[in-house]
Amino acid sequence: MTIEQELKQLEEIAKQLESSELPLEEAIALFEQGMKLAGTIRTSLSEAKLRIEQVIEKTQGDFKLEALDIE
Amino acid sequence: MESRHVYTVSEINREARALLENEFGTFWIQGEVSEITRAASGHVYFTLKDESAEISGVRFKSRTSFLSPPDVEIGSEVLAQGRLSIYEPRGRYQFIATLLQPVGAGALQRAFEKLKQQLQEEGLFDPVHKRPLPTAPEAIGIVTSPRGAAIRDVVSVLERRWPCTRVLLFPSAVQGDAALHELPAALDRAERFSRDVHPLDLIILTRGGGSAEDLAAFNGEALARRIHACQVPVISAVGHEIDFSIADFAADHRAPTPSAAAEVAVPDVADVSRALHAFVQRVVDRVGFAWRQLADQYVYRVDACRARSPVRRFETHMQRFDLVTTSIQQSIGLHWKAQEERSKHLAEVLRLSDPWLPLARGYSLTSRAGETQPLRDLGALAKGDEIDTRLASGKIRSRIEEVTTNDD
Repeated sequence: MTIEQELKQLEEIAKQLESSELPLEEAIALFEQGMKLAGTIRTSLSEAKLRIEQVIEKTQGDFKLEALDIE
Repeated sequence: MESRHVYTVSEINREARALLENEFGTFWIQGEVSEITRAASGHVYFTLKDESAEISGVRFKSRTSFLSPPDVEIGSEVLAQGRLSIYEPRGRYQFIATLLQPVGAGALQRAFEKLKQQLQEEGLFDPVHKRPLPTAPEAIGIVTSPRGAAIRDVVSVLERRWPCTRVLLFPSAVQGDAALHELPAALDRAERFSRDVHPLDLIILTRGGGSAEDLAAFNGEALARRIHACQVPVISAVGHEIDFSIADFAADHRAPTPSAAAEVAVPDVADVSRALHAFVQRVVDRVGFAWRQLADQYVYRVDACRARSPVRRFETHMQRFDLVTTSIQQSIGLHWKAQEERSKHLAEVLRLSDPWLPLARGYSLTSRAGETQPLRDLGALAKGDEIDTRLASGKIRSRIEEVTTNDD
């Protein structure tokens, strides 16, 4: 799942928790799911490092990725 | 052995200069102004070009009265008079103008306007074709030179704002004739890569600032059509704020500089962190509220049960019993205290009424001899009668010698 998808899912969970009269047990399950997701996103954001690659096409359709150092 | 003459750098520059100046003399030249700098010294430096070549030129201050600034600018087609020379300290070949006058609008500018109008009429620039940019792209394709300033600017902004993305560079020349063909080819490669290898959320087509002819490749018709057909949203960022290219009009989004393109392409990790924090707070509040509600209900029910429990009833009885007992004790206490006060009082009254008490202080009781009734007045007492006088310690019997009343 990409960060964008994770953020969207988190937003969904928040909406559900806020809008509906969920039984507490379900609310707590959702809450736990949301907190876990938030933790994952936070980790992804803090540990993220930009990946830079150069795409070379030797012959038509034959793509090759090379790491690229930008000083 | 033949002796060879070895020039110094100064010598060759000096001789070349003399040769150029003498060979060409004063002449006329026509071309388009592609760069122009008005130095603080008052000299004006410029570049003239045509389709395939360019030449540096200068107008020294003493002669600038011929060069009226509003008339000559980048893109102007000019007719100039002057001579060729070499600036010896730098070995730079240049045209020294004595006269410079505009000849209508520049040819490149005319071509640009013509193509722009044509594509506009075809609907290539219509707002309906502009797609929204993704909010948090996972992979970004960049079409530019791997050695230019643009890729460095873009990467540094992405690293700061949104490092959780993947940058895929599709290298291309970004100026000159080569770029005219390479730019649309690189864009095409990026699109096929997105379709066949790994999806790209966005493509940034960019290069840093430069002269009008440096940026000219971004005004090509093939590139504009390629951008228009591209399945992936395209941001075009060519040169500086003031530069507009055909690519800018055809793209989904125009950014004024490469850095600005990177800014709009991704969210800021700091903003997302703040939003995330706010979300967690909201969820905690919501669940905390539900929890407190439940806890309140629990407390309420426990209270209700306790109120109905036999222990509670017993407690009630005990309490009532206590209450009654206490009040009994209290009333008994009060009663007792009253009785005690009363008996103390009576005892005192009795003590004070003891008839013998005054005798101890020196008073005495007198009665007729043999009687107990104390005498209160002289009455019928006469000389010779016998009387008894009682003192605290005993009794005296006496005979009256004389009776005297107080009135006498």
